[in-house]
Amino acid sequence: MAATDAAPPPRGDGAIRIGDRSAALVAAALALPGILPATALAQSAPDEGVVALRYYDYRDWQPGVDRMSVRSPSLYAFVPLTDSLTVEGSLVYDSVSGASPLYHDTVSGASGRGIGDYRSAGDAKVTKYFGDSSLAVGAAYSHEQDYISRAASLEWRTWSADRNRTYAIGFGAAKDRINAVEGVNAPVLDQPRETYDYLLGFTQVLDAESVVESSLTWSDGRGYFSDPYKLHDMRPDHRRILAWLTRYHRYFAASDATLQLGYRYLDDSFGDRSHMLEASWVQVLPHGFTLTPTIRYFTQSAAYFYRDPPFPQGFVPGQLYTADERLSAFGAVTLGLRLAKELPNRVTIDVAYNAYRQRGDWRLGGSGSPGLATFSARWIAFGIAKRF
Amino acid sequence: MASVHEMHVAGTDRDTADRAARAAIADVKRIEAKYSRYRDDSVTTAINRAAGARAVAIDAETASLLHYADRCHALADGRFDITSGVLRRAWDFKRRPPRLPSAGEIAAARDLIGWPRVDWSDERVFLPHAGMELDFGGIAKEYAADRAAAIVRDAGIAHALVNLGGDVRAIGPRADGSPWRVGIRDPRNAEGIVATMLVDDGAVATSGDYERYIEVDGRRYCHLLDPRTGMPVDHWRSASVAAPLAILAGSYATIAMLQGECAERFLAEQKVDALLVKADGSLRRIGHAASEQLVR
Repeated sequence: MAATDAAPPPRGDGAIRIGDRSAALVAAALALPGILPATALAQSAPDEGVVALRYYDYRDWQPGVDRMSVRSPSLYAFVPLTDSLTVEGSLVYDSVSGASPLYHDTVSGASGRGIGDYRSAGDAKVTKYFGDSSLAVGAAYSHEQDYISRAASLEWRTWSADRNRTYAIGFGAAKDRINAVEGVNAPVLDQPRETYDYLLGFTQVLDAESVVESSLTWSDGRGYFSDPYKLHDMRPDHRRILAWLTRYHRYFAASDATLQLGYRYLDDSFGDRSHMLEASWVQVLPHGFTLTPTIRYFTQSAAYFYRDPPFPQGFVPGQLYTADERLSAFGAVTLGLRLAKELPNRVTIDVAYNAYRQRGDWRLGGSGSPGLATFSARWIAFGIAKRF
Repeated sequence: MASVHEMHVAGTDRDTADRAARAAIADVKRIEAKYSRYRDDSVTTAINRAAGARAVAIDAETASLLHYADRCHALADGRFDITSGVLRRAWDFKRRPPRLPSAGEIAAARDLIGWPRVDWSDERVFLPHAGMELDFGGIAKEYAADRAAAIVRDAGIAHALVNLGGDVRAIGPRADGSPWRVGIRDPRNAEGIVATMLVDDGAVATSGDYERYIEVDGRRYCHLLDPRTGMPVDHWRSASVAAPLAILAGSYATIAMLQGECAERFLAEQKVDALLVKADGSLRRIGHAASEQLVR
């Protein structure tokens, strides 16, 4: 430090000492993007906050019938409180109009009043970063006319010394209440449901351009699982779901683009098993644009208590029964396109369009459930995010 | 960046090395294309074309380079100025036979210099007079070397050396644990080495009067021009600086050349190890660890 202490009085612009200017230059150099190791930045809490507003518009239909539309604005914020503590949270408000999602041509007209005209939900999560691990505590609340859900979660992450591998262990619990006074079966009053989720995950940096992440989730739920708005619908009161999700990201420097591949296997104690495959290409374009096309394929087998149309074929009073198309055997394809643009002041705007189509005969590895009309949906999302 | 680039990677498998090297090279090319003043589609050209007319939107990377250039300007008391490239209009180092610019030509170019006059923010930059120019040449190559090194290091490679046209950045020591030996070129003999700097991890950059110059009446006029006078510096033949980052080493070396006789004190204040070759060919070593760091 002797050299700095011996620095001559400042020349030129007054009060700034040479030592300060040296430190300022070093700080400016370290602030250049990509100079510090990206992985090293992950060891401490992120120092960048985000506020994002999103508007989501969903609509689905079957041939000749418009089903349901949902409009939902949401707000998300992520705030670093200190260099080792972050808090994030979101609020969402859904307004639903149109018929309830019947999903099933043959029960058209047998529907009840629908799944509630609005939903408001919020969640919050606090994450504390330690030297080589982090602990996150979260809570969520969701409220509809006929449904209240409260949930809490705990997640612990730890990473290797070189920051190239991360492990995660998580636990979540949700307590729901269903109050469908106007259900089409007997009124459903204050029916409880409790679900416990367990998560194991890891992320591995393979090299400078690729990352793989994988997680296993086990969900164990007990309580009311039937759909009160579907005639005769009666489902088991114990549901266990095992889901395995793996994602791979690879950056191609030559084209300044990232390929994202995903696969999810899901095994539901209701009897349905599904496979989901998706691929996205995140292409950086000139002038701050990013274009992301996505294709997703989904195939599932039917729940063991699902009965094919015509409704109510196969229904036996007192036995498990559903005609819900979501529990039928089908295949589905989603095509999506998202365009994002970086604006000045660290603002990003984006618009996304997704088209979804579901058909029995698109199922892979078995025949699809017969007698169902093609189900289509599309959703559009607009977002604006500001980093600070 | 029409100069020789090289990269050494050790202590890893071939595939990892290849992938990392390819990613690093792609990033160097990206920066070169983005900030080259010779390319029609570069950020630099877009900013310079809009001089005197309008502000140009810039991204976060460009903004952070401007911040860095601003700090360099302050540290060098205005001798390091990224608007001083216009002096090339007065000084033509390629012209044969060589000729010195007139006082009027230098004055005209100097009128267009002045980083403090540039209107800039994190989002935009505006050169207030037509003819003004930004030149990232003094920092972009070193920045690219640091990024290339970071890419290689992030790939898990512990021993690597990146050399972009003489700006050297090391990741870790050599695979056997010994330091990298960076030869310092003799300013008057392209094949000769005047000293060796040992680098375990960090960077060495050299600024010299031999890269571009003209000789008129037996006197050398080099391309390192003091923006305040418009005249070439002549106190040192070269300055080589070791610093944690190539961009810092490069800036310190350039500022040292521009500081003239104050260079030794300036470098001592930065607490860096350095080797200066004086106009008479004698060597000056700076740094408390110089005896270990510099081996003749």
